[in-house]
Amino acid sequence: MRRSVSLASSVAMVTFSATTFVSAQDVSATYSMFGTPGLLEMPTAQSAPADALAATFGYTENYFRATLSFQITPRLSASYRYTLADIYGDPLGSGIDDTTERGFDLQYRFNDETKYLPAVAIGFRDFLTPGRIQSEYLVASKSVGDNLIVTAGLGWGQMGTRDGFSNLFGADTRPVFDENDPDGQLASDYWFRGDAALFGGLEYQINDKWGVKAEYSSIAYDEAANNLAIEADSPYNFGLTYRPRPGVQLGLNYLYGNQVGVSGSFELNPNNRPGKSGLETAPVPVKVRSNTRAPWDRGAVSETALRNAMDSLLKVEGLTLVGMEMTDTSARLRYINGRHRSQAQAMGRVARLMTQAMPPAIETFILEPEVDGIPAASVTILRSDMERLENRVGGSAELFERAQFGDAKRTAGLVEVERDENPFAWGLGPYFGINPFGGNGSASVEAGVQLRGVYKIQPNLVLSGAIRQSVVPPEDNDGPQDDGDGIQNVRTDGDLYGEDGIPFLQTLSLTHYSRPATDLYGRVSVGYLEEMFGGVSGEVLWKPVTSRLGLGAEVNYVAQRDTDMGFGFEEYDYDVVTGHLSAYYDLGSGYHTQLDVGRYLAGDWGATLSVDREFDNGWTVGAYVTQTDISYDDFGDGSYNKGVVVTIPEDFFTGVASRGSYDNTLRTRVGDGGARLSVNGRLYDEVRDTHAADLEDTWGRFWR
Amino acid sequence: MTYFRNSIVVAAVFTILTACGPLEQGGIASQLGSVVTGGKIGGESGAASAVPVIAAPGTAALPTEELNAAPGKYIRVSARSFERWDTMLNAGSNGSRITFVDSANFSVTLENGLVVATRGLPRDLIAADVAQSWRAIQSGGGNSQRRHEFLTNLDAISTELLQCRIASQGSESIERLEKSQNATKFEEVCEGETFQFTNVYWVNGAGKIIRSLQAISPEAGYLQIDVF
Repeated sequence: MRRSVSLASSVAMVTFSATTFVSAQDVSATYSMFGTPGLLEMPTAQSAPADALAATFGYTENYFRATLSFQITPRLSASYRYTLADIYGDPLGSGIDDTTERGFDLQYRFNDETKYLPAVAIGFRDFLTPGRIQSEYLVASKSVGDNLIVTAGLGWGQMGTRDGFSNLFGADTRPVFDENDPDGQLASDYWFRGDAALFGGLEYQINDKWGVKAEYSSIAYDEAANNLAIEADSPYNFGLTYRPRPGVQLGLNYLYGNQVGVSGSFELNPNNRPGKSGLETAPVPVKVRSNTRAPWDRGAVSETALRNAMDSLLKVEGLTLVGMEMTDTSARLRYINGRHRSQAQAMGRVARLMTQAMPPAIETFILEPEVDGIPAASVTILRSDMERLENRVGGSAELFERAQFGDAKRTAGLVEVERDENPFAWGLGPYFGINPFGGNGSASVEAGVQLRGVYKIQPNLVLSGAIRQSVVPPEDNDGPQDDGDGIQNVRTDGDLYGEDGIPFLQTLSLTHYSRPATDLYGRVSVGYLEEMFGGVSGEVLWKPVTSRLGLGAEVNYVAQRDTDMGFGFEEYDYDVVTGHLSAYYDLGSGYHTQLDVGRYLAGDWGATLSVDREFDNGWTVGAYVTQTDISYDDFGDGSYNKGVVVTIPEDFFTGVASRGSYDNTLRTRVGDGGARLSVNGRLYDEVRDTHAADLEDTWGRFWR
Repeated sequence: MTYFRNSIVVAAVFTILTACGPLEQGGIASQLGSVVTGGKIGGESGAASAVPVIAAPGTAALPTEELNAAPGKYIRVSARSFERWDTMLNAGSNGSRITFVDSANFSVTLENGLVVATRGLPRDLIAADVAQSWRAIQSGGGNSQRRHEFLTNLDAISTELLQCRIASQGSESIERLEKSQNATKFEEVCEGETFQFTNVYWVNGAGKIIRSLQAISPEAGYLQIDVF
């Protein structure tokens, strides 16, 4: 029988099939109005999928909640919440005020659910500082059959206000939250104190898209001064959830016995990359030598010709050749990676191009990525390893084992390539910012057009600036205010900057990068360094390429800029010497930590501790806390700052090679204490991705 | 609440503004703008050509005589998941492994006609050990073990160990480029911890795989490969 050319029938017949199965019970937990896994306003003991980052927006009349939740470990989750709500005036009967709350939640699940035992979790809602929604709880959840989950729990704080009973632990008195009490201190003396109350509920998953929930809430919403102005006629809340696609959950809820609310949750997971493993075009394959013994005949192939060839080849890959040094058996090549997020991927491409052009006698490849005009590291790879390990199982790991990492070698031996790139680059585009700590206490949003320019006087001496024209200016304010706290308004006047509606100078600075010695990096920046301050900033970083530890020192002398953001410094007549000693440590397993100790912009002394969970594909979810010597008794607010930083690389979404990223910092508040100069180009972040630990993180991309 | 008003205004401004200048290339605005206007995602990364679309004719339109006249120089590959096919050119060899590249810079590396690597698909085969499968085909069937490496969403290498059975399905005549050839059809059923697939090979009288349907990854699907 003759068979036609077409293979369509075969294609239909053979398909990939997964050999793992998901049971209905494994449908991931839904999010509550508070943005954590839960019912309507009550939590459950469930956890979100590991590493999930979820943004949840919940709205009922006069009560808006936006929450970012991160599942730090399979059992531990943290959330940051921003709340806008109406509250009863003080004294009661004096009308309705509104309030803005920002806070953190934590939940820890003690165990996995078993056939007979429920999952049990402990949780803290808005736990760091005293507040009107602050609660603590113990909760247990058990699935019954495949589709029903039953939850019961015990709540304290706001969650202990409906039919509360005396505390099981005997600690019967909970300090009364005072609206006028500044929130600059830890609220540990509130935890699990005062009355406790029972809550519970059911969630039934009809199918993989639709589900229903019902709960008995232990929040009474008592009518009292400064309490949330919500009339709860009933403790029973009901909800309908719809999941149109994975990662999206929409809710229609009937709350408090008298109103309808809506919610929406949007979940991203660093383990689930829309861009898959990337859509970059194929690299040039390794060219294998036929005769490795032939010495390099410089008469036949000159060094200049090789340099020109490498220059052209790197350009094809979107990389830039800086210079080369050749011996009879080695080639050292310095280059700039402006395309790939992963320095390992750029390195793999450079090394493969070298196999195409280099004479057979050249066995040793020394690759030196340059960053900000300074060499940041050197990686030595044997050409025979490239030939032997290309497309081989285990080839990535073995090549990493055999590669040598160290500081970049001297620039002196390099023959530099004439740089033909235009030293001037510009860009006109939009900017936008959300300032959740606007001067008048509520969030403000700003957006506009930004004209940026960069002029490279030398590769390591860069003049850069940005001029902005706001389209949506920050919310109106009444000019510089003396808030009476005796601390310079180094951040609280932020909304005054650039609000007049005319173009303003965002930044204009000259930055010089240097390599003063082995393992040392230097930076000096002069000019209008950030929105609110201008001056001089100097930094030195010690960071050996193979070390997980980095140490830095930074000293700045800056003055506060005028609010019109021109060139002047007269309005405030404030200048300060500020700076920090910093230690950076890569803890491994994706955890990084940084400790900064020193003097902040308002002249206060203190320290900032940051812990980041970094995923190898570039995601970072981190938190930081700052404590300074601004006395809580004297000044109240501001000595104690904390926030969350989220960074997601662009190529995560697009799969297209890019070194850009989306990032945002969410702070609970910005007082004037603990404020750091926001200067661009701090050294650690500039150089670390060329160092061994970061290269190892993305080494899987070397052969991509 | 002004918060909502502001959010809407910002979203509008953000969407309407189009970015220009080298510093904005590949940035948020240019990418968003291109999505809004239906254009290709690109910019300085220049990777627009990497987005899997139906490949431009390029070498695809090579005449039959050219393909038949230069054995080993060309293969024709169809990536059905992406509705793309092209003629690929021999771009170099490393031992018994030959890498073919097409006009859109997508590459496939073959060892004795078996795929050992791809580059440019959403989930590439980074490396593979297929020696046992080739021996089984040569012996007319048998069992084999394969190892396939993939690049994970976290930029690490994951290795899938696959247990395979290869069996002859008898002889078939395949028609290609106005010539018909007799070939033995083999099916290779492979099972790993997370997925399974079935490859199909047509082997000619000289023992060479002249046509095949080979699995790459769950995301990239199968490639139909014709070797000339």
